[in-house]
Amino acid sequence: MTSQLDRPAPTEGSTGGLIVNGAPCTLLGIRANATALDWLRDRGLTGAKEGCAEGECGACAVLVARPDGDDRTRWTAINACLVPAASLDGQEIVTAEGLGSPTALHPTQYEMAVRGGSQCGYCTPGFVCSMAAEYYRADRVAAEIAPDEQERDHEHGPNGFDLHALSGNLCRCTGYRPIRDAAYALGHPDPADPLAERLTRPAPPPQRTHVAAPDGEFNRPATLPEALALLAEHPDAVLVAGSTDWGVEVNIRGTRAAHALAIDRLPELRTVEVDDTVIELGAALSLSEIERLLAGRVPLLAALFPQFASRLIRNGATLGGNLGTGSPIGDAPPALLALEASVVLASVAGDREVPLADYFTGYRQSVRHPGELIRAIRIPLPLAGITAFHKIAKRRFDDISSVAIAYAVDVTDGVVTRARIGLGGVAATPLRAIATEAALEGRPWDRATVQEAAAVLRREGTPLDDHRASAAYRSAMLGTSLLKLYAQPADPGRQEADA
Amino acid sequence: MTTTTPAPAIRPAAPSRPRPHAPESGPWVGRPVDRRDGPTKTTGTATFSAEYQLPDLAHGWLVHAPIARARITAIDDAAARAHPGVLTVLSHLNTPRLKPSPARPSLLDMSTMVGGTRVDYLGTDEVFFDGQPVAVVVAESLEAAQYAASLVQVDYAPLPATIDFAAAAAAGRATPVKQSLGMPTLVGSVGDADAALGRAAHVVDLHFTTPGHNHNALEPHATTAVWDGDRVTVWDATQGIDWFRKHLALRFDVPVESVRVIAPFVGGGFGGKGSVWAGTLLTVLAARVTGRPVRMALSREAVNRVVGGRTPTRQRVALGADADGRLTSVIHEAVLRNSPVGGGPEQVVGASGDLYASPHVRLVTSMVTLDLVPNTFMRAPGESTGSFGLESAVDQLAHDLGVDPLELRLRNEPETSALHHRAFSHRRIRELLHVGAEAFGWADRTPGGRRDGSQLVGHGLALAYHPAWEFPANVTLLLRRDGTALLRCGFQEMGMGTATVQAQVVADALGIPFDAVHVDYGDSDLPIAPNAGGSTQSASIAAAVLRSAAKLRRAVSQLHQRPGESLAQTLTRVGRDVEVSVGSDVGVGAAATSVRFIATTLLNQRRWVRAASGAHFCEVRVDADTGEVRVTRWVGAFDIGTVLNAKTAASQLRGGIVMGLGLALTEETVVDGRTGRIMNAGLAEYHVPTHADVPHIDIHLLDDPDPTMPLGVLGAGEVGITGVGAAIANAVFDATGRRVTDLPLTLDRVAP
Repeated sequence: MTSQLDRPAPTEGSTGGLIVNGAPCTLLGIRANATALDWLRDRGLTGAKEGCAEGECGACAVLVARPDGDDRTRWTAINACLVPAASLDGQEIVTAEGLGSPTALHPTQYEMAVRGGSQCGYCTPGFVCSMAAEYYRADRVAAEIAPDEQERDHEHGPNGFDLHALSGNLCRCTGYRPIRDAAYALGHPDPADPLAERLTRPAPPPQRTHVAAPDGEFNRPATLPEALALLAEHPDAVLVAGSTDWGVEVNIRGTRAAHALAIDRLPELRTVEVDDTVIELGAALSLSEIERLLAGRVPLLAALFPQFASRLIRNGATLGGNLGTGSPIGDAPPALLALEASVVLASVAGDREVPLADYFTGYRQSVRHPGELIRAIRIPLPLAGITAFHKIAKRRFDDISSVAIAYAVDVTDGVVTRARIGLGGVAATPLRAIATEAALEGRPWDRATVQEAAAVLRREGTPLDDHRASAAYRSAMLGTSLLKLYAQPADPGRQEADA
Repeated sequence: MTTTTPAPAIRPAAPSRPRPHAPESGPWVGRPVDRRDGPTKTTGTATFSAEYQLPDLAHGWLVHAPIARARITAIDDAAARAHPGVLTVLSHLNTPRLKPSPARPSLLDMSTMVGGTRVDYLGTDEVFFDGQPVAVVVAESLEAAQYAASLVQVDYAPLPATIDFAAAAAAGRATPVKQSLGMPTLVGSVGDADAALGRAAHVVDLHFTTPGHNHNALEPHATTAVWDGDRVTVWDATQGIDWFRKHLALRFDVPVESVRVIAPFVGGGFGGKGSVWAGTLLTVLAARVTGRPVRMALSREAVNRVVGGRTPTRQRVALGADADGRLTSVIHEAVLRNSPVGGGPEQVVGASGDLYASPHVRLVTSMVTLDLVPNTFMRAPGESTGSFGLESAVDQLAHDLGVDPLELRLRNEPETSALHHRAFSHRRIRELLHVGAEAFGWADRTPGGRRDGSQLVGHGLALAYHPAWEFPANVTLLLRRDGTALLRCGFQEMGMGTATVQAQVVADALGIPFDAVHVDYGDSDLPIAPNAGGSTQSASIAAAVLRSAAKLRRAVSQLHQRPGESLAQTLTRVGRDVEVSVGSDVGVGAAATSVRFIATTLLNQRRWVRAASGAHFCEVRVDADTGEVRVTRWVGAFDIGTVLNAKTAASQLRGGIVMGLGLALTEETVVDGRTGRIMNAGLAEYHVPTHADVPHIDIHLLDDPDPTMPLGVLGAGEVGITGVGAAIANAVFDATGRRVTDLPLTLDRVAP
């Protein structure tokens, strides 16, 4: 097709290029709705492959140089099928072909080859990229794990390899064990390895990108004021942050947005601010970034993150995007509801703050007006003493919840002083279990109270019958969940609350 | 075609370390040799069917019927044609018709068996299933083809459709099938099983259901085709290069020699790429009509909608036993589904005639015909689902009798097969039970399960069983004076490691180093290899390799080979290369091969029961509150005859077990009972196991040759998945006391 790259009024930083496997490439002629995966494959880089086109299988994983603080870089694996090619402008990408060649294998490729980690080979380059991201993780340190523990511990290798790094890659041949063996056999990078060396320098800075092609327009402003001005001009523009939804819309539903507005690199949306009364999370931080920046500061979110989709998705997906989509089965809203979070909506008219409990109005609908974007999520302090996130699903990871329940409960002198419960998967919107909260508050935190409240919780929401679970099962799970919470071992927060 | 790389290519760029397995001399068979394609696959440089770069390449995209039965009344493709970059929109209104798919498949010509459906794609206005392609958009770019496909408007006049499997089966609309000669067991009877059941001291009579499944190999089906006059070259994701070639020649009415199929690397198949489905046909058709090279890489959704999956089953297993737990009656009835345009029965009940001793056996298979995409074979067709019924029922009987399920199986170990009273060529199930039990610590478990905090821990056992088959394969084998050899055979690398394993066989057969053997594969220009199906490929090709090596030895011996001289040394001395061939691809030789194949198959079936077998032992942890099932430990002991390569064999078996975990716990193709639409035609909703779902899996191999199979090989590709569903269900029963008879074992079925 004869698409063109239109660059009116050359804006600074809009160079239209990127670096792939160490070599500069141009984005000239790109279509606004082309995915990074199709773009790479059209260039003959077919190591990244399409297995699902919706971020489930990881066959398309590639490495992107992302910031690790201000002065270092982190090789981050993402699903190329979900990302607009235009969003690669100014970035540095490494594919399986760039890691090594058949006669000079990268250590990840060598271990995969000799341990039988590759069979049909289709998922292999994606696994290699996810594995390489973890291989280069600067804070990966070897750990002493006793041999019998190695059998039991699903999640860490003696070399510090976090198996969650592979949670977004599917394999249908090997039974996964040879892949795990390969991952756990990896050593540490040689400092002279160019990709290891790259970690010691800053990631590529954010820059403006503007693509106008016959199939649509892609805009990436450099600052929030620019973004808000563009949004005011095109209030119906599709906002793209982690683009985990954009990719599904384009690939699976055939959607072609006239305007896509990328807000993923806006510096104003990429900070975490903490004071005495509130934690403010930038809406365009990826979940992986929030996980690292919070470092367990919010135990409920720390419990949520490992269960949220997969590492490949968390490396792209943002809290702003999860709330912007407003899916009833997203996993973040229940947790944020329990935390009594609020949403900061920004527009040219200024900011407004909306409690999350008032934010959702219907299936994939919210109070966000056209022309507004989610700038930040605010979590009030202090945090509750007892928190938990219960996700019930068929698979351990990389699954959509049948039911998701988040708790934040304060107990003082043995009495529940505050209870906040967020539910997902039980109604057309995420919701607070208001009646259950009322059944707990002011009552002693004991089995009798919990059992009565569990009976109330069972009736909250209007669970669906679908192929994930029956309505009756969902109701039953709501009830048992609260009993599980009560039975959970006391965490430090609980002791604090009990004290 | 693809030549395997010699091993030195495997070298890390960064800190080197010793290769785990780098032996210098033979014997090579059995060794855990590294796969030769590892370096190309790990670096993303192995080329799959959608990755061939051709000049002027156009892209195809399918338009699917959104209705189960209908006639097309109108097609408006104006908007699609007007979309920039669109070359054409093909439909039944403007497309030359293909020759029909053979109505009756014949063993004499296996290519007649690989028409996935009999639908006359783009040659009829009739719609036979939801998802049936009714138009193909061809455009300059994939993106343009995909978008323009959404602009094609098709109007339909609906026809009545039968869709709901459970309802049709319950309404008694199932028709019993007849046993065909030479085919796997579908029907059979010995004694009077019903009367014996009535007299039995102990009776278990259970009904089971299993849902449809889809293969969901990681590589979606993809085809690239280019015509040059009446000759066509097709790069296709296929499990059977030769059968596809012949089928395409038939459908496009060109001589077989005019079709070349190239498929060195196939991204998994599991049966889904064993037949010629719409994507392949319509790509070749689009290339012919447009005169351009055309590539069509199907979306995941399209794969699920146009390629058949595993049939759902409803089963009854009734077992009668005497006071000592000796079986007196085995009844296994299965209802399956096909479609008016294809599909067929599979051997759900087959193993029930072989696995246990019983004087009375009755096996029945019947079919309901549904207006859905035809079912097709998927890894261990029949055995994977049938073993869930049989092995669950045996477990229940053991429980009712208060006997250890392992002991009950030993008591019922047969001398000959119960159904046909035929000898086992080789049977090691007692050893497998002992080896597996020892490795697992079966004797140390707490029968009836135990509680560990909020988790219920249980243990389960089930047998695995898969018949062994053998197909003709042709090869050429060249030994050069420099001591290197070249094996040529038109198979494809789909994940099993065939090129590596056959190089091991050649190395031993010719007494040369493994690295001196090259293998050419992946192209119909090479001698014919069988379809990769039925776990037959390794044994079938190995048989031809052994024959060619014998022929080559004879040829060299006529070159005045001196005593004590190796074959290579003789050739070096006389300064000659020698090439031999086994089997003929054409003419009288090919016909003779077919006749010999059928005769041998029938003869072997009368003489022997031949099968790979295994014993699964597993531990599960069930959340007492939610019913979530996690499999935490697995031991599988297997008899696959000779182990050709310990590494690839163990991986095949492990992969089979993990696909069995999916069958047991998460996999289910959900069909809307009103519309016939697959509701979960994607990996987000069709749940294959992930890394975190997979426990430590300990594989034990007896490595004991079957005396009747080539090189003693019984096949490893499918036996691993059989029995897995039952092993897990039995462990869940042990943990919770709940006998779940419907797969998958979802949380709401297991929860209290």
